[in-house]
Amino acid sequence: MKRVRILMAIAAAAMAAGLYLTLTSPTDRLQGEFTRIVNIHAPSMWVAFLAFGVTAFASILWLVRKTNRWDRIAEASVETGVLFTATGLFTGMVWGQAVWGRAWDWADPRMASTAVMFFVYIGYLALRRATPDPVMRARRSAILGAIAVVQVPLVYFSVNLFRSLHQTQSIRPDGASMPDAMVIALLVNFIAFTLLYVALTAARVEVAKTEESRAAETVPAGDAVATPLLSEVEDV
Amino acid sequence: MTFWDQAVEIARVDLRVERRIGDVLRIILPFAVIALLVFPLALGVDLSAITQLGPAVFWAIGVLFGMQVALRQAADDRPERRDLYSLLGVDPAARFVGRALSGSVLMVGFLIVLLVATFVLYSPRLPSGWPGAVILALLLTAVGLTELGTLAGEVTAGLRSRTALASLIVAPLAIPLVIGGSQTLESLARDTSILPWLLLLVATDLALAVAGVALARPLEEASR
Repeated sequence: MKRVRILMAIAAAAMAAGLYLTLTSPTDRLQGEFTRIVNIHAPSMWVAFLAFGVTAFASILWLVRKTNRWDRIAEASVETGVLFTATGLFTGMVWGQAVWGRAWDWADPRMASTAVMFFVYIGYLALRRATPDPVMRARRSAILGAIAVVQVPLVYFSVNLFRSLHQTQSIRPDGASMPDAMVIALLVNFIAFTLLYVALTAARVEVAKTEESRAAETVPAGDAVATPLLSEVEDV
Repeated sequence: MTFWDQAVEIARVDLRVERRIGDVLRIILPFAVIALLVFPLALGVDLSAITQLGPAVFWAIGVLFGMQVALRQAADDRPERRDLYSLLGVDPAARFVGRALSGSVLMVGFLIVLLVATFVLYSPRLPSGWPGAVILALLLTAVGLTELGTLAGEVTAGLRSRTALASLIVAPLAIPLVIGGSQTLESLARDTSILPWLLLLVATDLALAVAGVALARPLEEASR
């Protein structure tokens, strides 16, 4: 738990730095204060992609090695990924309402594909809840986790593949399409959100470990109840 | 028995069981046709809107009810049947391929009947040269949907909420199939190439086939 606390402290410090830069960086002339939302929206979606990628990696490793550790990481990563996807969708809708005039636009394939990805992983979590046996649960969700990741490149490249309202990548190998101060704020937030993802996932893994050890300590009622001896049974 | 002999035999058994139970013909297909009837009733008597909506409604109903075809009761192996397959040395990958084959046959039949019903009820305006493109898109969508349904059915085998849970998993993952199928006709109407959409369907089908065969053994273990 000490490791988790250290990770949480580092993540909190990085988030505070990210928040400071978000609030002090310059804004776009047309979008005004709503420019700042990108510092939450883009890092949230990056972390969601990272989380689902880690889930697929951990799922494949579970299928190969069959060790609990990888199942715990896959589960923790999906839960964190779903949280960040929801944050990304919500902040995107707030920005869309302010800049495009509507929260949901069908002309933006990234919005629709992100919502689809969100529901795929809601299905993953539902599958886990519906499977009581831990080994079965790990196996089934590992298979789904390995398949579901195909959504990630589809969502990421949807703005390049389809005609879209959504802007394409702002930071590219040939340079950025925004001022340096905005790029720095965005990059610091990318790092801060990544650290937050690591800390939250590590904390969730610890919770899963505790749940497992408690489940192992619990004696099923069937074993606790002894068969009555015939000598002790009285005729009524 | 070779791999393909096993797959064909499993497909044959599946189709025989389906003929006896009749899930697709007696329950799912009439329900899907009712759904086709409900849309215009909810929309009101706006003939031009109904005509325009026809193809979109066909793909939406086709995919949603197609899931039920893929997850039909006959495709849910009981543990005894699974044990028998294992004892007989049936390759899990052959079981997946066989199941996908029988499901695809049923799905194609289901979608063709639904297409005819859409023509009768919606009288959609279709661009010239549509039959080849629609049949091709329909075949590719049917294969992909069956593969996806087979995978989801195996992942959720034996669970109490199997049908609802598998539908939750299949519906979002079937989006590339819906897009590929519906955009084929749209592209034809706009006089642009339909090749990218057919390639999307082929790529999705191939990816699902590879996933189904590669994960066949873990899937078999998962469904016990």
